[in-house]
Amino acid sequence: MIVLVSGILAASLTACGWLFFVYRKEKNKAGYFERALDAKNQRHDTTITEKITLSKKQLETAFDAITDLICALDSDLRITRVNKSYAAFVGVPIPKLLGRHCWEAFWSRAEPCDHCPAQMTFATGKPVLKHQIKMPDKDRPRYFTVATYPVLDAAGKPQNVIEHIRDSTDEKVILEQLIRSEKLASIGTMTAGIAHEMINPLSGISGTAGNMLQMPGKYGLNEKGVARVTAILDASSRASAIVKDLLHLSRKEDGTSMLTDVNSLVLKAVEAVRLKGFPSLEHKINLDTALARVLCDPTKIQQVIINLVTNAVQSVLEKKSNLAREHRSFSGLILISTQTEDDKVRVDISDNGTGVADDIKGKIFDPFFTTRPPGEGTGLGLSICQKIVDEHQGRIFFESTESLTTFSLLLPAYRPRPESTQEPA
Amino acid sequence: MYSILIVDDEVSIRTMLLDYLEGTYEVITAENGEAALALCEQRPFDMVISDINMPGIKGPQLLAEIRRLYPATHTVLITAYNVDDYVRLARRSGVSNIIPKTSPFNFGELDALVSGLLSGNIFGLARYMQPQHYTLLGTFEIRSSHDAKDVREAAVELLTEKLGAAGDMRLILDEIVTNAVYHAPAFPDGTEKYEEFSDVTLAPGEYIHLECGHDGEKYGISIADDMGRLTKETVLFKIERQMSGEGVLDDSGRGLHMSRLFSDRMIINIAPKKRTEVILINYFSHKYRGYKPLYINEL
Repeated sequence: MIVLVSGILAASLTACGWLFFVYRKEKNKAGYFERALDAKNQRHDTTITEKITLSKKQLETAFDAITDLICALDSDLRITRVNKSYAAFVGVPIPKLLGRHCWEAFWSRAEPCDHCPAQMTFATGKPVLKHQIKMPDKDRPRYFTVATYPVLDAAGKPQNVIEHIRDSTDEKVILEQLIRSEKLASIGTMTAGIAHEMINPLSGISGTAGNMLQMPGKYGLNEKGVARVTAILDASSRASAIVKDLLHLSRKEDGTSMLTDVNSLVLKAVEAVRLKGFPSLEHKINLDTALARVLCDPTKIQQVIINLVTNAVQSVLEKKSNLAREHRSFSGLILISTQTEDDKVRVDISDNGTGVADDIKGKIFDPFFTTRPPGEGTGLGLSICQKIVDEHQGRIFFESTESLTTFSLLLPAYRPRPESTQEPA
Repeated sequence: MYSILIVDDEVSIRTMLLDYLEGTYEVITAENGEAALALCEQRPFDMVISDINMPGIKGPQLLAEIRRLYPATHTVLITAYNVDDYVRLARRSGVSNIIPKTSPFNFGELDALVSGLLSGNIFGLARYMQPQHYTLLGTFEIRSSHDAKDVREAAVELLTEKLGAAGDMRLILDEIVTNAVYHAPAFPDGTEKYEEFSDVTLAPGEYIHLECGHDGEKYGISIADDMGRLTKETVLFKIERQMSGEGVLDDSGRGLHMSRLFSDRMIINIAPKKRTEVILINYFSHKYRGYKPLYINEL
């Protein structure tokens, strides 16, 4: 759309400039009589000139404001007009570009490009859209999307061609990265599929070899036979080790690790705690909308978050009932937040409940440790939470003062490996 | 002699199982589900072990059909793929045992599973250990909620002291023992007798037995009650809900699921209304690393 609009804009601009040019030229050619008539109409003429000048200025400003590159070419492919972006890209001032061949000035070639779209438009009188041109460069090639639009004379013949050039190198690179990552993903899926198909015969081969070594008599194996079968077993073991590594790499082995939005886990956890029948407490949830994603087993991490939120809620409820016994009121508060902290995703769950007493601070991650009164369920236990978080190379820790207790969960943020700048062959 | 039909389109797996099991059992093989059904028509089998992914009838479908036609036949699935992906399918087919095709193949495990199902003798840690190397480290009895904590800690300490390893037994024993103390005892109408985490003194029929031991290759703990209230269907249902993530809000099932996750093997043996046993096993090495089997034996 932008291409089309700028094309039309450029076309009308040039047409307008053309008109002005013709007007001036015709004016100069005019004879005495006409000049006299001109003088008579001076006032009127000034108004028209002013109007045209203003219109020209407006269009020129727009022309230069466009960041894409625009030029007007004559039928010999010489540049008749360019916008500022064009000149800036080439690195040559506008006046020095005018009159030069576009193929030499812009594309640094000794002759017009193959399948030149401007030539095509001159020949057919029709626009050429989305023509891709690659500009070789010693560092990295650049890609351009070129569109050409004809400026037709009264007879419908192209007088000029407006060329619109957009640097699409970045788009091309992004597209290639996408294709590459899709390829990688399908290679991953394929690898997992192949690995499974390999496990099947490998299990049979190593199992049969194992049988033969266990019961050599049954297979009529002599000493040499046993030695060879041992070699088969060794070889199949090595092959299986490679297949297992492949499966491990493609992360299909446990089939549970995936890129996860921790915010959604937090929201689900809060929902889960509500569903479990806790009366709704005042809570504030402050989620980092630009939170990095985490490669994790979402079910396990959600269990951890549910556990921490449940603990917070219970702690608040307990304090409330303790104070109620002393006829004191208490307004409980739960604060949950997520944020990206360097290369980690952090979840903080705070409450103003009973807190963690100093004498049990060292024990709460121990297995079998519970402060829960009978009948309230165990949840998962902080020890299992810690185990899960360790598995994810994360960290779980807490800080507890009289007024506020915060449990924090740190998980490694997923960072895609930077793509190499090398072009694929 | 018990008869076993092995169904797998991979010839090396068929012959491997045939070679290992023949002699002890009468073994016949078939390379697909259609051939297997034809063989079953000719004669009954005590057990059918079938691959999951085969051309034609798939394993779960085949075993569901065999269970329908021949209810006395024991059915077991075997796969090179991730066992966890097939728990739902297996449950629908009434199958509760899935063997992973590992490399090296775990013949000891196959032995314990096949002989256990065929003989009906499924209980006891020793059955799942290599008989010639098995050492019983200790037995314990839990008679009250107070005992529970001491016994759990004593068992873990014993493993750590004798073997220098207890893996995550410390974490998961809590879950399994808690289940046994508070969820196994019930009134005749089925409602649970004790409130979770209340102080409980168990009645003699409600005692919980723990034993732990090792065989040089692996170590394990068995936790058993004499009530047998758990059913295969319940265990499969709960585990499958946890695996798929649907069970994240469930009040129960998480303990079993976590125990299976954090141990190398979890075997559940059930004699309805008589005995429930959960066996947790860890290997010393990563020899049998790979997908975990599903072993739930109900008599």
